[in-house]
Amino acid sequence: MTTPYILAQIVNGIILGSMYALVAIGFSMIYGIVRLINFAHGDILAIGAFASLAGVAIFSLPFPLAILAVLAVGAAIGVFIERIAFRPMRGAPQVTGFIASLAVAIIIENLGILTVSAQPRTFRVPHYLNDLVNIGMQSIRVIDIAIVILAVCLMAFLALFVRFSKIGIAMRATAENYDVARLMGINIDRMIMTAFAVGSGLAATAGLMWGSKYGQISPLMGLVPGLKAFVAAVIGGVGSITGAMLGGYVLGLAEVLFVGLLPSEYSGYRNAFVFGALILILLLMPNGLLGRNLEERA
Amino acid sequence: MDQRASYRAFILVSLLGAGFVFLGTQSLDDYGRSIIEFVGINIILAVSLNITNGLVGLFSLGHPAFMAIGGYTSAILLIPANRKALLLPDLPHWLASQEWTFLPALIAGGGAAVLAALIIGFPVLRLRGHYLAVATLGFIFIVQSLAVNLSGITRGALGLSGLPALTTLWWVYGWLLFTLVVCWRLKHSSLGRTMLAIRENELAASCLGVKVTHTRIFAFALGAFFAGVSGGLWAHLVTLISPSSFTFLLAFQLVVMIVVGGSGSIIGTMLAAAILTIATEMLRPVEESLDLFGASQILTALCVLLVLIFRPRGLFGTAEPDLLRWSGLLFGRHWTRSGSKNRRKEVS
Amino acid sequence: MRKPLATLLAAATVLGIAATTPIAQAAEPIKIVALYNLTSGGLASIDAPSLNGLKLKAKMINDAGGLLGGRKIDVVAIDTKNDTKETATGAKRAVSMENVVAGIGQSDTTFALAAAPLFQSKGIPFVTSGATSPDLPAMVGDEMFLVPFGDDVQAHAMAEYAYNNLNVRKIAVWTDNAMDYTIGLSKYFEERFKKLGGTILVNDVYMTSDQDFSALVSRLQANSDVQAIFASSGPDTAGIIIKQVREAGINIPILGGDGYDTDLVSSVPGKDLSNDVYFTTHAYAGLETGPANTFRTAYQKEYGKQPENAFAALGYDAMGLVADAISRAGSTDHKAVTKALASTSGYEGVTGKIAYMNGSRVPSKPVAIMYVDHGQVEFKTTVTPSN
Repeated sequence: MTTPYILAQIVNGIILGSMYALVAIGFSMIYGIVRLINFAHGDILAIGAFASLAGVAIFSLPFPLAILAVLAVGAAIGVFIERIAFRPMRGAPQVTGFIASLAVAIIIENLGILTVSAQPRTFRVPHYLNDLVNIGMQSIRVIDIAIVILAVCLMAFLALFVRFSKIGIAMRATAENYDVARLMGINIDRMIMTAFAVGSGLAATAGLMWGSKYGQISPLMGLVPGLKAFVAAVIGGVGSITGAMLGGYVLGLAEVLFVGLLPSEYSGYRNAFVFGALILILLLMPNGLLGRNLEERA
Repeated sequence: MDQRASYRAFILVSLLGAGFVFLGTQSLDDYGRSIIEFVGINIILAVSLNITNGLVGLFSLGHPAFMAIGGYTSAILLIPANRKALLLPDLPHWLASQEWTFLPALIAGGGAAVLAALIIGFPVLRLRGHYLAVATLGFIFIVQSLAVNLSGITRGALGLSGLPALTTLWWVYGWLLFTLVVCWRLKHSSLGRTMLAIRENELAASCLGVKVTHTRIFAFALGAFFAGVSGGLWAHLVTLISPSSFTFLLAFQLVVMIVVGGSGSIIGTMLAAAILTIATEMLRPVEESLDLFGASQILTALCVLLVLIFRPRGLFGTAEPDLLRWSGLLFGRHWTRSGSKNRRKEVS
Repeated sequence: MRKPLATLLAAATVLGIAATTPIAQAAEPIKIVALYNLTSGGLASIDAPSLNGLKLKAKMINDAGGLLGGRKIDVVAIDTKNDTKETATGAKRAVSMENVVAGIGQSDTTFALAAAPLFQSKGIPFVTSGATSPDLPAMVGDEMFLVPFGDDVQAHAMAEYAYNNLNVRKIAVWTDNAMDYTIGLSKYFEERFKKLGGTILVNDVYMTSDQDFSALVSRLQANSDVQAIFASSGPDTAGIIIKQVREAGINIPILGGDGYDTDLVSSVPGKDLSNDVYFTTHAYAGLETGPANTFRTAYQKEYGKQPENAFAALGYDAMGLVADAISRAGSTDHKAVTKALASTSGYEGVTGKIAYMNGSRVPSKPVAIMYVDHGQVEFKTTVTPSN
C-alpha cells in the first residue's frame, strides 16, 4: 500500500468519476424538472458511443468535431424520447414514468442488438491521444487527461449556463416550483425539452469518452454505467447539478478504492458495493450531499 | 358477489381448473406442460407482487431477488446429502446433512425469502416511490453478486444443475390456488382495505390509526414468501438455478403484468400474466422465421408504453371483473344469483 | 360409404398417399435444432457467430447435394435469450418437435446444462459447439458430446508452455468470476502450474461486465516479481484487459485461453499495445490453403465479414460433425446417430481433428498456442499436455 499505488488509484477514480459525473448530471437535470428517474439514460451513453464511432469511421470527422456531433446526436435522441414516451405521461404518478423509462431502455437495447448486433466493436482514437505523459511519479495517457478536462469544461459551461442564461434561470425556476413557473409564463415544454437535450447530450459525450478510454463498445455497454451514474446522482443529491458532479467523483473514487484497497478476494463484489452504498445513502442521507428535500423521499 | 356465491364460484372454478389440469397432464407434451407451468408460476409471482405493489402501493422490483433466495434454499435442501458435500464444500455441517422433501423445501425457501424481506424491509421500506424501486433493484444486484461470489455455498457462476424435476402441473396448480385464496381473502378483508387506504393516502390512513409501517412490511414479506416459493418451483422446473436466472428483466416483466392487468386487481393480473406469457411464447416461431430476434421484447415494451399512455390504470384498475357474470352473459344464462343488488361497488 | 364413386375416390386417395409417401420420405428434410443466446445479453457475442458458422456449414452441405441421398438439412434456430428458463423451454420445445435428429448449441456450460438433459431424456444427441467443461458428459449422460477440447486440456497446455517454454515461475492470475468457463480455466491452469513447481503471486477476480481494470492493474504494478499474467477471460474482455495492462507500461507476457481468439484482441489495444500475448486456441487446419481457409472465405462471402471469433468455427464444425455422423450412421435414427457420434475417430474439422477416444465424449484435440506480435497473430506451436 505505497503512496504511488494509492495515488494511482486516486487518479483512476477521478477519471472514472468524470464519466459518471457527466451521466449523473443528466439524471439530476431530468429528475429536477419532471421528477422522473430516466432508466433509459444509460443507453444514451451507448448511442453516443456508436454515433461517434459512425462519425469517425463513416464520415471521417476529425475528433474534436466528433465531440460536437455527439453532443448534438445525444440531444436529439433525448428530445425524441421525451416527446414520444414521456410527454404523454406527464402528470401521471411517479412510478408510471419509471416503468415507461424501463420500457424505453429495453426497446433501445433490443433495437441496438437487432441493428448493430451484440458484438463488441473496436473504438479507434487518433494516435496522439494514446501517448503517455508523466506528471510527477504518475504516468497518465493524454486521453485520460483529455477526458477529465473535457468533463470539467462541459460541467463549468453548464454551471454558467444554468446560473446566468435566461433559459438556465427559467429551468431552475421550473425545477423549484413547476406551477408557479407556468404562471410566470415560462414555456414548460421547452424547459423540459432543454433538460432532456442537455442531459442526453452530456450522456452521449460520456459514451464517446468511455469508448475512447476502453477501446471497445457494444449496445449493452450503457446499462451498468447508467445505473451507477444514478447512484452517483443520489449520492450528490438528486435534482442538484453540482451534487451530481460531486456524486460522480465520489462514486468513481469509492469504487476504484474499494477494489484497490481491499484484498483481491473482494474485487468481485464491486457492483454489490455500489448498490449497497446506494441503499445506505438513501437511508442515511436521503438528500445526498447537496440536495434539497424536493419531495417526500423517506 | 356475496360471500356464499363467491365461495361457490371459487369452488366451481377451481374444480374446472383441476379438470383442465388433469386434461393437460394427459394430453400435453413436455413442452406444452412446461409452458402452462410457467404461466402458473408467473401468475403466482404477479399476483403476489400485486399485493406489494398494487394494494399497498410499494413499488418493489425485488421479486427476482427473493426468487433467487427461495430457489437456492429449496435446491440446497433437496440435493441428496452426499452430492451436497461434494458440490458445496462451504456449507455448514448441519445444513449439509439435511435432505428434505419437496413441500417442506419449498416452504423453507419461502421462509428464507421472508427473512430476507424482513431484514431488508425495515430499513428500505421507509423509502417512497421510485426510490424504493431503485433500492429493491439494487437488492437484485447484491443478491446476484453474493450468489456468484459465495461459490462455496452456491457453486458460483455455474449454478446448481441436475436438480430433480419435481415441479408438476399439480404442484403449480396447488400453489396457485393457495396464492389466489390468500390474496383474495386478504384483499377483501379489513387488512386489505387498510392496504388500499395506505395506497390512496398514507397520511390520512395513519391519522386513522393504521399502523402503516407494519402493514407495509407485512405486504412486502407476504409477497416475498410467494416469490421464494415460486423460485423453488422454478428451479425444479428448469432443473437448474444460477445467479443469472433471476434478473431485473424478470422484474420488469412482472411489473408489466401488473400494469397491464391493473394494479390491485387480482383477476386482471392473472389474465395479463397468462396472456403475456403465452403471447411471448407464440411470438417465438415468428421471431425465428423472420430472423428478428428480440422483436418480442420490443413488442412487449411497446405494449407497456401504450397501456401507460392510454389506460394507465391497466385493464381493470383495482376492480375485480366479475368473470362469471360475463361468461354468463356470453352464454345467455345467469350463473350467479342476481348480482347487481348484492354487489358491493368496488373501489375502481 | 354406399356410393361406388365415393369408395373409388377413397381408394384412390389411399393409394395416392401410399404411393407418394416414400417419395415424401426421401425429400424429407433433416431437422437440426440450434439453441443459442441471440439476444438480451453477454453471451450473444459468442453465440451469434456460432449459429452463423453452423448455418453456413448446413448451407454448404445442402448446396453440395445434402445428406443421405439428397435430403436437405433444415436448421431451426431457437433463441434462448441469455436466460436459463428460456433455454429449458426452448429445449423442451425442440425435443417435442417432429423428427428432430439432433440438437446443437450453447457456448456456456451453465446453459448447456439447462438444455442438454432434456435431449438426454429423449435419447436425442446434443452436441455443444462451445461449452468446455470436461465434466459435462458425466453430468448429462451419453447423448452429450463436446466439439471443443475441455478447459482442462487447454489450461494445462498453457501452464506447461508458460513453465517450460517461457520459463515463468511466478505468475499472476486474473479470473472472470461471472463465467464458469473462465473459472474452470483458471482452476485447471493453477493446478498444473503449481504441480510443475510455479507460484501464484497475485490472484485477482473481476466480472464480465467490468470494463475498468485500473485497480487490478495497479495491484499488479505494485508486485514487481510477477513474470507473467494469466488473464482468464472471454472474448468481450480480452482486448480491454490487454489494452489496460499495456497502457500502464506493464510488459510481461499476457497469457489466455481460447476466449482470446477474436479480432478484438488485436484491434482494441491497437498495433502498438497488442504485443507479447500468448493464448491457446483450436489448431485450425490449413489456415492458408485448407479447410480453415475455405471456411473463412465462405464466411466472408455469406456474412460480409470475417469470423468474429473461434466460436464461429466451432459452430461450423459442430454441424459438420453431426452431418458426418448421420452419413456414417446411414439414417436419422437417434440411436444410430448417437452411436456414430460416439465412435467418431477422425472427423477433420476446421478446429482440428475430432475423435472420441476410449468412450470419452470430449475430443482430444491438439492445442495451438498463438502469439500476438504488434497486432499480428501468429501460430507458435502445438502442445499436447501430458496425461
